[in-house]
Amino acid sequence: MSNQHTYKQALDLKGNVNTFCVLRSDGACLPFDKHNTDYQQFRIDLVNGATLNDTSGNPITGDALTTFISTLP
Amino acid sequence: MSFLNVNQVSTAAGLPSFTTSNNAINFNGNIIGASSSATMKNRIINGDMRIDQRNNGSAVGTSVNGYSVDRWQIQQSTTGKLNGGQNYNSVTTPSGFTNYLGVQSQSAYSISSTDYYTINQRIEGYNIADLGWGTSSAKTVTISFWVYSSLTGTFGGVLQNYGYSWNYPFTYTINSSNTWQYITVTITPPTSGSWQTGNSQGVNVIFGLGVGSTYSGTPGIWTSSNVLSATGATSVVAVNNATFYITGVQFEVGSVATSFDYRDYGRELQLCQRYYYLMQSGVGRWNSTNASACVISAKFDVQMRTTPTTSGMNIGYGYVENFAGSNPTISSIGGYGGVGVSGMGWVVLNLTGGSGSTIAGYVCEFYVLNNTYGLAWTAEL
Repeated sequence: MSNQHTYKQALDLKGNVNTFCVLRSDGACLPFDKHNTDYQQFRIDLVNGATLNDTSGNPITGDALTTFISTLP
Repeated sequence: MSFLNVNQVSTAAGLPSFTTSNNAINFNGNIIGASSSATMKNRIINGDMRIDQRNNGSAVGTSVNGYSVDRWQIQQSTTGKLNGGQNYNSVTTPSGFTNYLGVQSQSAYSISSTDYYTINQRIEGYNIADLGWGTSSAKTVTISFWVYSSLTGTFGGVLQNYGYSWNYPFTYTINSSNTWQYITVTITPPTSGSWQTGNSQGVNVIFGLGVGSTYSGTPGIWTSSNVLSATGATSVVAVNNATFYITGVQFEVGSVATSFDYRDYGRELQLCQRYYYLMQSGVGRWNSTNASACVISAKFDVQMRTTPTTSGMNIGYGYVENFAGSNPTISSIGGYGGVGVSGMGWVVLNLTGGSGSTIAGYVCEFYVLNNTYGLAWTAEL
């Protein structure tokens, strides 16, 4: 029931992949919190094939995407 | 035990003091019910549509598929069919109210079976936990509101649990067009089903503005089908320029609709800020590894429902130390971390424009000059 976004991994203050939130294509940053409804929609979008890019803008696919999803709450 | 059976109590001069009815007394229109709570009688937040942090009274545009006035969501299965916002079209409000939420159809749209156009508010589980829904002691509730439409007829709505597995379609009738009308609907409580009593959705209160057959159900009975309105209800989006305005929405315990639970502005704003908080200033320092990033930590004014999403909303007036000439604007959120329900550890604000340079560790600051600008934190249901 929503328009699907694309997503991108964010950086933390040390330049590493941010393990707290993920960037949405409208500029919002979504916390990895299962009670956050934007995050819930992110999980649904991933299942439905939404694009998740790494911090450089390259799509994460295959095993890398599966591994990433397995780390999510 | 003895009883005093009266319909009215009067002054010595014979003037009415109050009248009585089943489980309620009426003080010249101000009704108090037997089940009325001393506080938070109305479980709806911003039922009088006063608070509008996102739009500050401006129309939300036809592309809206989200929040208008605080806590109230306008949903369109296909955007472009409705426009609306706080006090849309500026009609006179009903007595006792200064605001309403209004929408207007942008075409004569024939809805398909899976279309849905609704206004809704999701009430948090904590705020309905006392209702005992899903148990044998479930409490009756009554919904009341003022409504005004260019259309007449039978309109529909639904109460819905988290997960859409318990739904109660209801109807109400608008008898006269372009006139405010007071509606009350008493809901038979659900004695079974799953009802959240924590920080997730307790019940979704939905008003249909045009819902297809797939999402419509028989009024007056609980159903496990995911529905958003009552079968046969009037469609606002079906008539070009049709209007629908609503205010004074109340969801209360008991079988009697009582007077609107007027709360002071500051408390109503705080209730809204649990779900949406517009941060309009902040102080931090320039990041050492990303020279354009102002790293800010801050505390929220109100503890939010859950860890919030953040987004920059037209933050066009960032003042930053060590920038000469024109100030930069915040182009996007670069990320954040250490955020909980009470505040944020850090958020990176990516900047664009301006002149000069930054020095890591030096103070940076942002502030806004418009009520709709700021750093938005969202924890809606």
